[in-house]
Amino acid sequence: MSQSKTQDEGKENIYDTAKCRLLRKYKLSESDKLFLFRFEDPEIATNWRFKPGQFVEVSLLGLGEVPISICSSARRMGFFELCIRNAGRVTSQIHKLQPGSLVGIRGPYGNGFPMEQFYNRDLLLVAAGLGMAPLRSVFLYAIDNRWLFGNITIINSAKFGNELLFKRELEAMKDIATAEDISIVQTATRDPDFKGLHGRATSHFEKVNVDPKNCAVAMCGPPAMYKGMFEELIARGYDPRYIFVTLERRMKCGVGKCGHCNIGTATSWKYACKDGPVFDYYAITSIPGLI
Amino acid sequence: MAIIDGCDGECQPRVGVYALTSCYGCQLKLATVQKIMEIANAVSFESFYMLSSASKHPADVDVAFVEGSVSTEKDLEELYEIRKHSRILVALGACSVNGGVQSWAEGEMTHEELHAKVYGTGKIGMKGLQATPISKHVEVDYYLPGCPPEEDEIMYFISAFLFGTFPEPKDYPVCSECRLAGNPCILIERGEPCLGPVTTAGCKARCITFNVPCIGCRGPVPHDTAWFDSLAMTFKNKGISKDQVRERFRIFGAHNPNLEPMLKKIYGGTD
Amino acid sequence: MRYVKISKQNTYEFLERLKKIGTLYAPHKISEKFFDFCEVDDVKDVMFEYQRTIRPPRRFFYPEREVLFTFDTRKVELYENLPSDKKQILFGVHSCDIVALRTMDSKFIDDQPDPYYKSRRENGIVIGLSCLPDEYCFCNVRRVEFVDAGFDLFFHELPDGFLVRVGTVVGHKLVDPYEGELFEEVCPDDTENMSKFEEKRTSMFTTQGNWDNLRYFMELRLNHPMYIRESEKCLGCGNCTLTCPSCKCYDVQDIPSIDGRTGERIRFWDSCQFRSHGLVAGDHNFRETKQDRFHNRYQCKNSYCSATTTSFCVGCGRCTYFCPADIQFKKNLMEIAGYKGGYS
Ligand SMILES: Cc1cc2nc3c(=O)[nH]c(=O)nc-3n(C[C@H](O)[C@H](O)[C@H](O)COP(=O)(O)OP(=O)(O)OC[C@H]3O[C@@H](n4cnc5c(N)ncnc54)[C@H](O)[C@@H]3O)c2cc1C
Ligand code: SF4
Ligand code: SF4
Ligand code: SF4
Ligand code: SF4
Ligand code: SF4
Ligand code: FES
Repeated sequence: MSQSKTQDEGKENIYDTAKCRLLRKYKLSESDKLFLFRFEDPEIATNWRFKPGQFVEVSLLGLGEVPISICSSARRMGFFELCIRNAGRVTSQIHKLQPGSLVGIRGPYGNGFPMEQFYNRDLLLVAAGLGMAPLRSVFLYAIDNRWLFGNITIINSAKFGNELLFKRELEAMKDIATAEDISIVQTATRDPDFKGLHGRATSHFEKVNVDPKNCAVAMCGPPAMYKGMFEELIARGYDPRYIFVTLERRMKCGVGKCGHCNIGTATSWKYACKDGPVFDYYAITSIPGLI
Repeated sequence: MAIIDGCDGECQPRVGVYALTSCYGCQLKLATVQKIMEIANAVSFESFYMLSSASKHPADVDVAFVEGSVSTEKDLEELYEIRKHSRILVALGACSVNGGVQSWAEGEMTHEELHAKVYGTGKIGMKGLQATPISKHVEVDYYLPGCPPEEDEIMYFISAFLFGTFPEPKDYPVCSECRLAGNPCILIERGEPCLGPVTTAGCKARCITFNVPCIGCRGPVPHDTAWFDSLAMTFKNKGISKDQVRERFRIFGAHNPNLEPMLKKIYGGTD
Repeated sequence: MRYVKISKQNTYEFLERLKKIGTLYAPHKISEKFFDFCEVDDVKDVMFEYQRTIRPPRRFFYPEREVLFTFDTRKVELYENLPSDKKQILFGVHSCDIVALRTMDSKFIDDQPDPYYKSRRENGIVIGLSCLPDEYCFCNVRRVEFVDAGFDLFFHELPDGFLVRVGTVVGHKLVDPYEGELFEEVCPDDTENMSKFEEKRTSMFTTQGNWDNLRYFMELRLNHPMYIRESEKCLGCGNCTLTCPSCKCYDVQDIPSIDGRTGERIRFWDSCQFRSHGLVAGDHNFRETKQDRFHNRYQCKNSYCSATTTSFCVGCGRCTYFCPADIQFKKNLMEIAGYKGGYS
């Protein structure tokens, strides 16, 4: 475990939240917005740490809580960003918040990606749709700690071009990216009008600048994508020990209590919030029902 | 948190309460909830005949509560008008949500046969229709089932509505509340045909708590999770006949499209 | 371990005195076929012989519904609503239920402890009671028929009273003041009687051996036809999980006040047999069909609890006894594992 201090430490009630103020919000797509929050308590603001792939529970009092991945860099302190899709009861109201509003936050929760295991390896990040949110955190971590990683490729995909999250941000990085051996691939899978790449992530492997034998893969998208990607990756000689994906389940507590996120079978009964949401290749392929 | 969109606690949402063919019990329930004064302060009742004769009909409202089933042409006209004038429409109570007890003849008798059975050759002053739930005719935004609906559910709906949202609807059966209430199970112990397993929770298993099996007044569990077939199988194993089972299921569930096929699956037969 | 003896008559007196320490709950007969833990009014109503209660003992530490917080929506502050530190004494808990409580502990008092559960557990006294199995019980194959932890006192039935095992310091303190008055020393005859009781009890179980390999068969026979056949009968009513002493699922809801300024954050027991348990935004359901949900419970209950080195299911038989559709959990498991005639 890292020595970083989490919000939970020294606190009696794990379900209590810390106040966070919404500082900015940006529209990323028709249904997704990026929210920038800062803890009100200066002490929490300076000490709060998280790992890429972890999530927080966002609380709108009177409405409820939702689990949301942290999508900002773990290196930049004092604030964090959430990319939130307007998907239902709580998220639709989060979308209506104006800068200055307060929300409750608890976390970070989940195991996150084992970044230390990725050191000195090339990195292949594959995101589909909202999966770009947690992977952005991984990507920014790698950039902020550029010397720790080899070549990096990020494939960002979405059904339609205008649904590609952080499309402009990634585009803007292209120049320095090339200089830093970072390959950025953005592709729309079902959008003939998109002025960019077309087709699924797997159809762009020729643009990947990593060495399969010495590469760590982090993927975030729908389970159907994982199945296809696993086959593709193994066929191309990627090391299965370094393939990681995130899983989504209904979550209420985020701390392994409420039982909603249960997955697996009798020999390997897991809670996606606590044992995950990041799982490795062997867990996914050996435990029935994960994908 | 803003109280309803663009309102910021300043304006009062407008509310209408209307009755189609019904016993007015649901309105009465709404009018007599403990916190009715608080509600009356938070909203403006544009139409609520039980509380004020100055009611307009139908008024332009943010939310309309409609009790009763559509049982006459006049009901239907009124319902269309109400829908036109309301931003959010809530079906209030068993008749409105599921057609209520007056729907028992659904699929059994035509309206004409039913009329003849009840009124003989007598005439009534309006054109009657087979009783139907309001969702058969207009879009319904939220359902508050029950005969009458439960106070805590009414309150939760109103406070959530004022908060700009709606409660997460219950999609589990009365049995769950019965168990949490610590009632002995009537079905297991006495073999009586309790409808708790297929009926939407929310009443805290009121009838079973009074030692009476559930007759399903809150209507079948939504999202096709009312397993009439499995329950019919259970009843059948206890020696209860198809007719008895069917009659019971139909008290509040006659309009459920799954009912007849599921009964047929277990008991066989022509209908 | 410390052992003492108490006569049946003195047990009633002991229960009277327990009532002075806190709220005393014990098994009562509530109808022809059902028992439940009820607050003890007249100690003569306490049932010393019963098989299972309709509601599991976990409810005393983790109530069906509780207000976690009240809140202020403008200040965005939660105010915790921790339980009072009143003592709750549970008398007459069978060994299966004691282990079930320990499985609950493993989840609720881990590195991120649930303060509500923890506080009630710390203020709880658990007094075990021996039992004779009926055909629904299979705690023995779950290896929980005899417990050595998780109780403050444990009462073993003797022809003329009880042999009491003292499990904790709290237990010692309950016995100390009445040593010599209500409690006496154990004599060889008592031990002999306890042996006889245990022997008789062991022979009464309709399943023998142990089911440690069950969870592997659960996985090797994932698509066993049993699931299709039995889930057809299932009502999705949730009785099996709500009566289960080791089920832990809950849902959370915010209930705002009418003026929207305050409200309550509540939690209440949920069940994986309900549709919404696996439902996420966009109407995707990870446990889409009744069969998926039925299957989920079979896997969950047979999974391994490292704290107790047993499965989460402790074989109490409730999920069968209280299933309105008469679905036979024990039989169905034996079918999956291929256990014949109850022997593994
Ligand atoms: C680990 C994890 C990370 C996530 N990261 C993001 C993110 O970065 N951005 C984003 O927009 N969304 C993310 N989601 C999905 C997000 O949690 C759901 O969209 C959100 O909970 C929907 O809530 P709602 O109240 O608006 O919708 P409703 O459909 O009204 O949901 C009601 C309740 O069900 C639960 N629920 C519903 N959908 C989900 C779901 N998909 N996952 C978990 N619980 C759910 C929540 O408790 C929610 O309050 C993540 C989910 C998980 C599990
Ligand atoms: S009495 Fe009825 S509602 Fe209660 S558990 Fe039994 S079947 Fe369900
Ligand atoms: S128990 Fe059944 S009949 Fe009685 S109030 Fe509840 S739903 Fe209605
Ligand atoms: S108690 Fe029986 S009928 Fe009810 S959900 Fe469980 S298995 Fe199904
Ligand atoms: S699964 Fe059934 S037998 Fe096992 S502990 Fe739960 S209720 Fe008892
Ligand atoms: S998932 Fe189901 S079986 Fe497991 S603890 Fe929750 S309710 Fe019980
Ligand atoms: S979200 Fe509650 S157990 Fe995982």
